[in-house]
Amino acid sequence: MSAGAGVERFLAAAPWPQRLGLRVLLALVRRPRGAALLSRAPLAEQAAWSVLALGRYDDPQLGRALGWDAAAVAARGLALRRAEGRP
Amino acid sequence: MDMLDADVCVVGAGAGGAVVAAELAEGGARVVVLEQGPRHDPDGFTARPPEMLARLYRDACQTATVGAPPILLPLGRGLGGTTLVNSGTCFRTPPHVLERWAAEFGLELDVATLRPCFERVEQALSVTEVTPELAGANAAVALRGAERLGWSHGYLRRNARGCVGSGVCVFGCPTSAKQHTGITYIPRAGAAGARIVTGADVQEILVEGGRARGVSARLADGHRLDVRAPEVVVACGTIHTPLLLARSGLEDPSGQRGRNLALHPATSAFALMDEEVDMARGVPQSAYVDEFASEGFMFEGAAGPPAYAAMVLPLTGARHTRAMADYRRLAQFGLMVSDESRGRVRAVAGRPLIRYDLGARDLHKFRAGLARMEELFLAAGAREVYLPLARGVRPEHARVRDLKLMAFHPLGTARADARATHGVTDGDLALHVAAGVHVADGSVVPSALGVNPQLTIMALATRLAFHLLGRAVPERQPDLEESACPS
Repeated sequence: MSAGAGVERFLAAAPWPQRLGLRVLLALVRRPRGAALLSRAPLAEQAAWSVLALGRYDDPQLGRALGWDAAAVAARGLALRRAEGRP
Repeated sequence: MDMLDADVCVVGAGAGGAVVAAELAEGGARVVVLEQGPRHDPDGFTARPPEMLARLYRDACQTATVGAPPILLPLGRGLGGTTLVNSGTCFRTPPHVLERWAAEFGLELDVATLRPCFERVEQALSVTEVTPELAGANAAVALRGAERLGWSHGYLRRNARGCVGSGVCVFGCPTSAKQHTGITYIPRAGAAGARIVTGADVQEILVEGGRARGVSARLADGHRLDVRAPEVVVACGTIHTPLLLARSGLEDPSGQRGRNLALHPATSAFALMDEEVDMARGVPQSAYVDEFASEGFMFEGAAGPPAYAAMVLPLTGARHTRAMADYRRLAQFGLMVSDESRGRVRAVAGRPLIRYDLGARDLHKFRAGLARMEELFLAAGAREVYLPLARGVRPEHARVRDLKLMAFHPLGTARADARATHGVTDGDLALHVAAGVHVADGSVVPSALGVNPQLTIMALATRLAFHLLGRAVPERQPDLEESACPS
């Protein structure tokens, strides 16, 4: 799954008020004028950055560059569960 | 309409419901468990935060309070409930809290009464202390700071077996090491004959003549399922239990249903270290600093993979990008407040509206806690500390609106009190207003605990199960260690 798809699923599963609010914040933070506007509302700006960053750093390639390999962690888990008969 | 008959119908399969179901089923009762969420297959645990937040959490982890400040309130959904997505930390109820419950709420729940319950739960969940090797470098940073400052600290006890430190406890343990109730108590319940129904959204508790008759649920396929049972155990969690009680038309002479919401509001800080930390290697919540527990706050480990860290890092713009470029040298630790503020849950258009405003005393705890957190990181050798405050705001000047908070331990919305005029449930967790209706989740916990509540909820659920069976809780099996409590 691509990083963008993961965040899209995250947003789609949210209740509509949060979904709508976060989509608006994301649209703002991605544009220079919107980002400038958001900088006047620190909590909203932080929320926008949180979701933006959640997607950006979910990228497997970027994760590996930072020492994190999600696929390897999941594969190790699967192998351990199979080998030891864990649930 | 489908119909099932049982001795006990348990609504919810989290920390409380799963325990009650297993103990009752193994004790010979005919049990039906109705769980709103799904059964999660660990083969699908990808260790990728956005996907797992959407799948394992209620509302994709976007349940939030309304108030000052708004607080994100992650809740698990599915077999295991929030135990599926918590950090696995296990504390017994602190003795001073039990003493307060006796004095304020008339609850006969002392250390001796609950001891066999705790021991039984700890054995079932393989609760052990995290080893330094498994705790990882992130914990080592905080513990080094505490050591240098002479602050009380230690490694946490957790319900994990065969843990290899995958670093994603809150995104679904890929090795099934975390002993959440979905892989411990629920299978036991099933093996003892309990019927486990997932995707069952309970609409109403059926009560006739002041006595429970069962529940009515809507299944995922739209069909209605009624369970006829003389005993109903409600364990939907602190946010949803009061809503179910209310929509069942049950009276509330105490006026306390949905009120007294405590949250343990929390936040976390980051530090840029000289050494490589790789915070996601090891157990994310593996250590604690309880030097200030008597002042109402405590530090506990927090950590995760880059996407998680990027989401909670309290920076924006270029500063965020620069800090994340140094992710491998970032350390994180959490601050949790034992709150005195109280909120309220009620239904609006069928959904919970959670109102919670942080009071002045709790704001003071956050100010003190964040200042201490900065001190802790600096003592550990941090080059920079990133506090969860608006830019330029120092902890001592923080206002409520400057705080970036989350909360993981909602409690108290159907609080236990021996008096029907003061509580929703009694000391045996039975509803004051209807015979045969019981509550077994965080909603009965009448005050903030100051520590992670899963063990308290499970111990209370164990006590309730044996009360319903009419038996004493069995004494401990050999080979149990004592459980940690904060000073």
